[in-house]
Amino acid sequence: MKQFNKLYFQLALLAAVFILLAILINNLTINLSRAGLEFSFSWLYRPASFALAEHPLPYSPSDSYAWALFMGWLNSLKVIIVSLFLATCIGVFMGLARTSNNTILNFTSAIYITIIRQTPLLLQLMFWYFVAFLGLRDNTFTPLKGILSISNQGIELLGLNLSSEFSALLFGLSVFAGAYIAEVVRGGILSVSTGQWEAFRSLGLPESSGLYKIIIPQALPAIIPGLTSQYLNLAKNSTLAIAVGYSDIYAVNDTVINQTGRAVESFIILLVSFLILNLIITNGMEIINRMTLNTNKYQ
Amino acid sequence: MPNKIIKSGLKLLENNIRDLFSNLLSLILRLCIISAIGLTFFYIFQWLAITANWKVVSSNVPLFAFGSFPSDQRWRPSLWIISLLFLSIFTLIGPNRKWLRRILPFAWISTIPIGIYLLSGGLGLLPVASRDWGGLSLTILLTGCSFLLSLPLGILLALGRQSKLLVIKHLSSLYIDSMRAVPLIAVLFFGQLLIPLFLPLGVEVDRVWRAVLAFTLFVSAYISEDIRGGLQAIPNTQIEAAETLGLNQFQITFFVLIPQALRIALPALANQAIGLFQNTSLMAILGLVELLGVGRSLLANPEFIGRYIEVYIWLASVYWLFCTFMAILARHIEQRMAIDKPNLVP
Repeated sequence: MKQFNKLYFQLALLAAVFILLAILINNLTINLSRAGLEFSFSWLYRPASFALAEHPLPYSPSDSYAWALFMGWLNSLKVIIVSLFLATCIGVFMGLARTSNNTILNFTSAIYITIIRQTPLLLQLMFWYFVAFLGLRDNTFTPLKGILSISNQGIELLGLNLSSEFSALLFGLSVFAGAYIAEVVRGGILSVSTGQWEAFRSLGLPESSGLYKIIIPQALPAIIPGLTSQYLNLAKNSTLAIAVGYSDIYAVNDTVINQTGRAVESFIILLVSFLILNLIITNGMEIINRMTLNTNKYQ
Repeated sequence: MPNKIIKSGLKLLENNIRDLFSNLLSLILRLCIISAIGLTFFYIFQWLAITANWKVVSSNVPLFAFGSFPSDQRWRPSLWIISLLFLSIFTLIGPNRKWLRRILPFAWISTIPIGIYLLSGGLGLLPVASRDWGGLSLTILLTGCSFLLSLPLGILLALGRQSKLLVIKHLSSLYIDSMRAVPLIAVLFFGQLLIPLFLPLGVEVDRVWRAVLAFTLFVSAYISEDIRGGLQAIPNTQIEAAETLGLNQFQITFFVLIPQALRIALPALANQAIGLFQNTSLMAILGLVELLGVGRSLLANPEFIGRYIEVYIWLASVYWLFCTFMAILARHIEQRMAIDKPNLVP
């Protein structure tokens, strides 16, 4: 009898969810048909007729909306991958600094982490764009002549041109994610028991090689899950690109919706493209995770 | 033999010299870094005190606090913010009377409806439309309402995910996982553009409440994972003990499991609240004039053109101050609620 009750309860719940969805979708179709926008994806093949400041592959306004959206997706992928590397470097350095005995390094890292973690990312991105890059006005900053030059047009590194929008987003995201990664790295290093430190010190290993050969390999299994979730956060946060005018997948979607009014379809495309980005990151991290676990096994 | 002695003596000398040099080098390096940090602080201080023009902030403090709230009604949001401040200081001091401590959670929860009443008016107060809400008061309102609403939803989702009933389990998992895979701005965008499309004709929801709804949907997925972590950390003996006492499933869940799970999840929940406070700034690019939105609209004003650094530093300090304060408050509550304390004994 009790089993039957449970079954009926679940069926009723399922029915309620379906009815709710049906009502919402019914409302949606009524509202869309009133606006003259029946649900379809055929508009994707029409010419987009808007320009994109950045496109990794050839693109012109006469290309289709689908191609424009794909360019946006590639732009997202580009900024995510580069910031992943930069954020990891910053995060690992700052995390190690936070655990080090050196007072100055420790203090600097603590200040960095508190400032970055207690202010909104959007504000930081605007700061990087409007103050750090556009604030340069006509001054060109060349710390290394012929190799690196920074101006309000962006960064030029060995003939590689990075636009100011891309650079601002890259630095904003990396510095923000770096602070969170630093905390993950610190947690991982603290999870290694102090006996390990004492052991390598008593074996006469210098601090640096002890850290790289003894402590970090043992900290990695604790670090990698946290790192994965920070990478996913970074990918999600990259959608704030619209605040600095970088044409990532969300910004292109926004333009498309403003032009065509196809909010529902574009939203679905946005979700699917994000699903693919997430899958890429989680699978990549899964491979790295397996590699570190394997190396640990055979040590 | 003497050769060996000389050799070892040389070695000792070499080691000493190396030590000396490494000490000297590290000393010089340390001095360099300290002077660099000192110089940076000096320049920052010089800029803050002399170069910066703080008129953009000082002449617009009411705007940052209340947005375009009618000026003769500004006592309402100020009263609310001041009472929140007093309540948090009161919580920090920690009243020793037992009944006062019992009241505190209810006082905190009641600040939200009181805040809504003070902002929107009606019932004796002049009604103020939500498009006139703004600044810090709107930021706090968005944070408070969304968090308060997402807490019960998060608890339900966490219980659902742990449930033995397959349909409930899979529905909750689907909701939580898909919400956690989506960027917040997409959810907020959904709230602003798509929720009106899903509502029947003639039914309209205000922009602010659509934002609150979107934040609630988003945050509850994250909160539910934190609470699930808390639920999993409760030892099985608790459930067995409750069963022995003859409590039914409902009583076990609501009087034994959830209070303990909430206590374990408290640090994570505080982080979510702090994150939510920061994330309300996203509404600035989706058309609400909250704290960051005020800054953006001021920077678009020709009178204050180019005063980016001043506005951003001011906003960053306000956010930093509030987030740090929330973190301190959370740590304090966490310490008060720790179980292994003698106050368990009457």
